[in-house]
Amino acid sequence: MNTTVCSLWSLGAGQRCRIESYDKALAENYRVRMMELGFHPGEVVTCLQAPALSAPKVYRVSNTMFSLDDEVASHIRVSLLGTDAT
Amino acid sequence: MSRIILVGSPNSGKSLLFNRLTGLSQKVANFPGITVDVGSGKLQEIPDTTLVDFPGTYSLQPISGEEEVAVEHFRRALDDADVTQVLCLIDATRMEKSLYFTLQVIRECERHGKQVVVLANMMDVLTRHKIEVDLAGLSHAIHAPIIPISARKGTGIDNLLKHLRHNIDNPKGGIDAGLAETPDELLRGNAHQLATRFGPRGDILIKSQARLDSFFLHSTLGGFAFFGIMYLLFQSIFTWSAPAMDAVETGLAALSDVIVPAISNQTASDFTADALFSGIGAFLVFVPQIFVLTFIIGLLEDSGYMARAALICHRPLKVFGLTGKSFIPMLSGVACAIPAIYAARSIDSPKKRLLTYMAIPLMPCSARLPVYTLLIAAFIPQTTALGGLVGLQGLAMFLIYFFGMACALLVTGLVSRNSPDQYNDLPFVLEMPPYRVPGLKPLLRNSWNRSKHFVTKAGKIIFAVTVVIWVLGYFPNHGADLSASWLGSIGHVVEPIFAPLGLDWRYGVAVLTSFLAREVFVGTLGTMFGIEGADENMVPLVEQIQASGLSVGSGLALLVFFAIALMCVSTMAILGKESRSNTLALKMFAAYGIAAYILAVGVYNLALLFGI
Repeated sequence: MNTTVCSLWSLGAGQRCRIESYDKALAENYRVRMMELGFHPGEVVTCLQAPALSAPKVYRVSNTMFSLDDEVASHIRVSLLGTDAT
Repeated sequence: MSRIILVGSPNSGKSLLFNRLTGLSQKVANFPGITVDVGSGKLQEIPDTTLVDFPGTYSLQPISGEEEVAVEHFRRALDDADVTQVLCLIDATRMEKSLYFTLQVIRECERHGKQVVVLANMMDVLTRHKIEVDLAGLSHAIHAPIIPISARKGTGIDNLLKHLRHNIDNPKGGIDAGLAETPDELLRGNAHQLATRFGPRGDILIKSQARLDSFFLHSTLGGFAFFGIMYLLFQSIFTWSAPAMDAVETGLAALSDVIVPAISNQTASDFTADALFSGIGAFLVFVPQIFVLTFIIGLLEDSGYMARAALICHRPLKVFGLTGKSFIPMLSGVACAIPAIYAARSIDSPKKRLLTYMAIPLMPCSARLPVYTLLIAAFIPQTTALGGLVGLQGLAMFLIYFFGMACALLVTGLVSRNSPDQYNDLPFVLEMPPYRVPGLKPLLRNSWNRSKHFVTKAGKIIFAVTVVIWVLGYFPNHGADLSASWLGSIGHVVEPIFAPLGLDWRYGVAVLTSFLAREVFVGTLGTMFGIEGADENMVPLVEQIQASGLSVGSGLALLVFFAIALMCVSTMAILGKESRSNTLALKMFAAYGIAAYILAVGVYNLALLFGI
C-alpha cells in the first residue's frame, strides 16, 4: 500500500497520520520531550485545528491535545492515514 | 517532623490538592535563577506533617535550566531522611502524559527507599461522562497504591488521609516495583502500554473540547471572540476597577483629613500628608486594579481560554521574538506595568519571559496618560483636519501610544535576533487544557494573594524612595520653596543635562520626581508654577507652560522621553522581584533612560531644523 510521507505541520484539520520518525534537524532534547508527551514513532496523531495565518496547529495524541508550531511540527515525519470525524 | 512530597505533571491539579490539604493558597511555578519556588504547608488533618509542593514537570529528564533546578530539588528531597512518602498526582483523564513521569518517580523512590502513593485526580470528570478506568489493574502493574480523588470536589481526600496516616504510623521500606534499573526509553514504552491497557476508553472529552475549539479557534468567529474577550479585559482594567480605586483614594483622603491635623509637629504633619498619604497612597490606589486584572486573567486561565488566546497571538508576536503567551502581559501593560509583570509568570520559556519583561515598560501605561494629556494640550493645536474627521490632538495621542508599542516590539525583535543559541530555549509546545467552569473561591484567593504580594514586596522600596524624595524636596526650608530645596539645588545642578532638550531646571526637577511615578510630573510642575491641584485641573498649568516660552520641539522631546524611559519605582521593584534580578531592572532603567534621552535630543534638534 502506498502511503504519503510528509511533515506533521503539513496536515490539515481533520487529517490523521502515523508518526514515522523525527528529522535530525530537531534537537535531541526536543525530540525526547515530544516523545515524553506521547508523540512516539508509530503513534496515531490527528490534526484537530489548523487556524489561519500559520498559527500553531492543534493535534490530538492519545487523549491529550497539544498545540505545536512549525518549529517543531515541521520536523516530525508522518504517513497520512486519512481523515477523522473528530 | 515528617515531610511528604507532592509531585505531578503540569495541569494535573496539584496546586488545588495542595491547597485543599494544607488550607493554604500556594501557587507554585518555575522561575529563572538558581532556585525554584517550592511551596510547603502543614497538613491540616495530620499533625507534625508537612506537605511540600513541587513545580509541575513532564519528566525527570530536564530540557531547560529551570526544569533542571526543579528536578535537582526533587532528587535532593529524596535523600532527606524526614521525607517519608511521595504523592504522585496523575490526571486520570489524560493518563499517558502523566504515567511516564509517574514511572520515573516510582523508579527514583525505589532507588531511594521511599514510599509512593499515586493519586488519580479528576475522577469526577470521568464519572460525569461515565468513562471507566481500571485503577486496580494499573495499581497492580506499577506495584504502587492508587487512590482515586477529585481535588476539585474533595472526593477521595478522606481515603487519602487515612492512607497517609497508616503509612506514617506503620513505616515500612521503600517501594519494590522492579524499576530501579529501567532506562527512560523503556519507561516511555511502558507508560504508553499501561495507558492503552488501563486508561480511559473513548474520546467524549476530546470531542467536546474540539467542538468548543472549532468556535474559539475558527478563522473568523474565533477572531471576533478573541477581540470581544480582550475588550472585556480592558473594561475590567479601566472601568470596573475605577470605583474601587476612587474608594481607596477617597478613603485615604478622609483618613488624612483626620490624622494630619491631629499631628502638632509641623514636619511630622507635612511628612504624614505628603510622603505617607500622597506618596504611598499613589501606589495603594493601584491595588484594586491589580486585584481585578489578576481575577480576570485567572478566569481566562482556569476556563482554558488563555491557551487558545496564546495560540491565536503566537504567529504575529513570534516575528518579534515573543510568544503568544506574551500577549496578555503586554496588553495588561497598557493599563499598568505592575500587574503586567505579574501576568508574565505564565510564560514558561525563560527567554521569552525576559523579552516580555523588556516589552512591558514600553507599553503606554495609564500613568503616562496625564503627562501625554498635559503636553499635547500645551503643544498640539486643538484643530481638526479632513473636514473635522481627524482632531490633531487625538491623532497625536494615538501616535504616541502607537510609538510606545512599536518601540516595545522593536526592542524585543532586536534583542531576540542578537541572542545566540536559540536552542537553549523552549519551543512552542502548549498542552491545550480542557474547557471548564472556573471556581470562584480559588480565583478570589489568588487575586487577594497577588494584591497582598504587591503591597508587601513593592511597598517597602516605594516607601524608601518616597521618603528620600520627600526629604530632598522638604529641606532645608521646610517645604516653603521647592526651588530652594535640596531637590531644587539638584535641579539646578542637572539643568545642563536637560538643556539639550530645551528644558530649564523646573522641568528637570519635574522629570526627576517623576522617576517615582510618571504622573508625579504633572503635580510637580504645578508646584513649580505655583498652581494647586494641577493633576486634577490642567488648564491653568497648560497656560503657564505655554507662557513659559517652552518650544514645541521641547514638548515633543518630552513626549518621546516619557514614552521610552522607565520612570516608575513600583515597576522597577516588581521587575526586580519577579525576574529575581535587580540587575536586570537596573540595566533596563539605564538602557531605556539613555535611549529616551538620545531620541528626545534628536527630536528636539529635528524640530529646531524644521523651525518648529
